[in-house]
Amino acid sequence: MGDIAFLLIIFFMVCSNFAKEAHIHLKPPKAADLGEIKETPVSVTISQEGALYLQGRQVPDAAAIEWGIAGLLKDKAGEKERTVLFKCDAAVSREVFEPVLDAIARGGGLIAAIGDKTVESIEPPGTGVRYD
Amino acid sequence: MLKSFKKRQLSDSDIPVASFSDLAFLLIIFFILTTTLQKATGFLTDIPSGMKSQVPQQEKTTTIALHEDQISLNDETINLAELRRRLRSMNLKSKLGDAKIVLLTATGKVKYQTYYETMATITASGGVIAIIREEGGKEP
Repeated sequence: MGDIAFLLIIFFMVCSNFAKEAHIHLKPPKAADLGEIKETPVSVTISQEGALYLQGRQVPDAAAIEWGIAGLLKDKAGEKERTVLFKCDAAVSREVFEPVLDAIARGGGLIAAIGDKTVESIEPPGTGVRYD
Repeated sequence: MLKSFKKRQLSDSDIPVASFSDLAFLLIIFFILTTTLQKATGFLTDIPSGMKSQVPQQEKTTTIALHEDQISLNDETINLAELRRRLRSMNLKSKLGDAKIVLLTATGKVKYQTYYETMATITASGGVIAIIREEGGKEP
């Protein structure tokens, strides 16, 4: 019984994605044309209040994100390694998110924009987009 | 007498393992409550960075302009479903290089929701998004 319990613990430890950004409040945008995105180690988040976060830590402006991304992606060449998870609240205005998207691109990041998939897709079942 | 004393000494030094399974189940409950096995959804895009060229281009690039909640494709106001249909009919996936580029520009109070839906539509139709901002990164 104890052995099974420890095997289950190991399973959960391997499969878990611990929420690094649980303290950041945001409502993700919704769209139909979305695919599956794999978790990556680099993330940029914009909260409901318009505060900017790099790796779960608040940063003052988009320039700090550009430098941070450039530093984190230094010597990273592969598409998967350069991918930056971008999470932003749906109600944030363009004056806030546009410079951040630009900063990620300038820092050499590939943007994986996270959102919720809606069911209004006109694609037939099984033909959804997939990003690996 | 000496034999029984030695036996008791050995048994006293054993680690009690009876409570280990209880501990293990407590850890399992902790992991069940804290784990998120949900897969993230979104889209992947490689936005080219750089300044807008001052040299006039030979071929007209597809331009999407966002203003408030309004979407315009090459100066024609359309809705999102129509944008999706038009972009798919352009067959951007089969095109190469600059022909894949779709310029995205926003003016006024554009929310991320509108911007996100537009970017997702461009990406799904095989286009490469190029964000147009004011020169030097300054806002108007």
